[in-house]
Amino acid sequence: MASSRDDFIIAIRSAFLKKSTKQKFSLLTLLSISIFVIVLSSLDLKVIKYLKVGINEIVYRSSFIVSIPENLIKNAFIQTTEYTTFFNRYKRNIIELENLKSNYVSNEIIQFENKELKELINNYALSSDKILAKIIVDHDSPFLKSIIINKGSKDKIKIGTNIYDQSYLVGRVIEVNYKTSRVLLLSDLNSNVPVTIAPQNIQAIVTGSGSDYGQIKYIQSGLSDALVDDSIVYTSGTGAIFKSGVPIGKLQSFIGGSINEYKVEFYSDFTQLKYVFAEVITKTEIIKPEEKVAENNDETNNPLNVKLKILEDELKIIEETNRKFQEENEILKNEINDLNFKVSNLNNQISSQKKTINQFDIDNQELDFLKLNLKHGHKCRRTFLNTDGFIVGTLEYKSCVLSKGANDG
Amino acid sequence: MMVSLRTKSSFLKIYSWLPILALYISVLNEFDLNYLNLEYFSFNFPFILIFFFTLKDFKHFDYFLVFIAGLFNDTVVGLPLGISSLSYLLICIAAAYIRNITIRPNPVKDWFYFLFIISLINSLNYTVLTLFFSFDLILMSYLVNVFFTFTFYIIFVSIFKYYMRGLND
Repeated sequence: MASSRDDFIIAIRSAFLKKSTKQKFSLLTLLSISIFVIVLSSLDLKVIKYLKVGINEIVYRSSFIVSIPENLIKNAFIQTTEYTTFFNRYKRNIIELENLKSNYVSNEIIQFENKELKELINNYALSSDKILAKIIVDHDSPFLKSIIINKGSKDKIKIGTNIYDQSYLVGRVIEVNYKTSRVLLLSDLNSNVPVTIAPQNIQAIVTGSGSDYGQIKYIQSGLSDALVDDSIVYTSGTGAIFKSGVPIGKLQSFIGGSINEYKVEFYSDFTQLKYVFAEVITKTEIIKPEEKVAENNDETNNPLNVKLKILEDELKIIEETNRKFQEENEILKNEINDLNFKVSNLNNQISSQKKTINQFDIDNQELDFLKLNLKHGHKCRRTFLNTDGFIVGTLEYKSCVLSKGANDG
Repeated sequence: MMVSLRTKSSFLKIYSWLPILALYISVLNEFDLNYLNLEYFSFNFPFILIFFFTLKDFKHFDYFLVFIAGLFNDTVVGLPLGISSLSYLLICIAAAYIRNITIRPNPVKDWFYFLFIISLINSLNYTVLTLFFSFDLILMSYLVNVFFTFTFYIIFVSIFKYYMRGLND
């Protein structure tokens, strides 16, 4: 018994402490260092932060280089699968493009109105620049869903910067280095986004599932019954973490246990991301027109003038929208004229066709009369022997021939 | 003749450092196969590599380099620094321990011992990340990861044995 315990102790000691000539450090030393590093990384020390940023810069670049062969294989695989569905997607895209074109004009108007109204409400304007960023590392860890982009604090990226794929939200920055940043994807379990579900106008939180879809959480009880498939999920802007009105995905129902549950299918496919846009927001204070006036003239600084200014601004917006509507109206008028022209052309065609049909009927009647004339003409014609007959060519003659024909029929 | 000998020795040098090279490539590259869209599918290649070469007491398998590889892995995956290093070193300790107590090595015993070790380490990982760092993690992913790592161990071991034979020759 004692000898087996001794063996165990010897084995453990040997495993932990024995440092043969080829090893620089014993395992116990390294184990202590790693625990020390964990403790340090949990502390928010400035030195550790800079050290981390340095390591990140080197490791991300190295990872990008090392991943090149695998990325080549991956791209080849993706391209092959894309080619197989190319034509069907092309046809779908054409239809979608037509729909989008028709929505574009009205969207422009709404955006313009929205911007103007936001400026009226706030005393600042947010101008945003979207910078294109390349994804240098996108290893899909089974535990964490994040990507590394090649833009960092040098490009004014901050923690919390929203990241987009086209105009769809894909995540936000959680770690910034000098020339790289880590983006937490919406599909990560630790991601929470306040959203609005349209058209029901329901507020909720979308959390990542660790898979390629999101889950609806923290929805007011009873409201979940109002949810329907294909409802649009977009950011509500609550909490000011994400910009409002950015599309995320659409709702899809699935059977979860005994009840019907909903998941969010993201518009963007996070496994296929190559480039993303980082939205760098700059805040500029607006000197309101009323303030400008106040600087120049104290007399004008009264509520009536302020109201007038607001009304003037509103008028400008309305004029602008009117102009857009007029443009649309002109286009529609031209279309109506074209259609009227086409209608008159078609009417002309119809009347000429009617004439042809009438002529055809007359010809048919004449042909029938001639046939009967050959058969019964001698009975109706006035001759020396037939004094009851009629002179050829008269109406009486014709009616006689036709009546004889009718009697035959 | 001299040149040929020098080339041979440099090739042998690279060949003998291959396991460490493979470890670094795997931590930097992850070999995630995510484009196959297999839900939950993942396996931990560094675990297999570290366990095998520590078990064989491979002379070019430096623990310090393993520790650094762990730091790299944490950076790439986005885990707090030191977590992977701790896991890798625990594997080294477990493998060194079993090497010391084993008189007649048995591959099947090693295989199941490996399952026990990776289950323990992944449990420790999960606990530390959820309790101390407030990470939300999917337990199922860990279980699947352990299963596939365990399954692939025997395949990779046969490849590593082939490599070792090449080195001895």
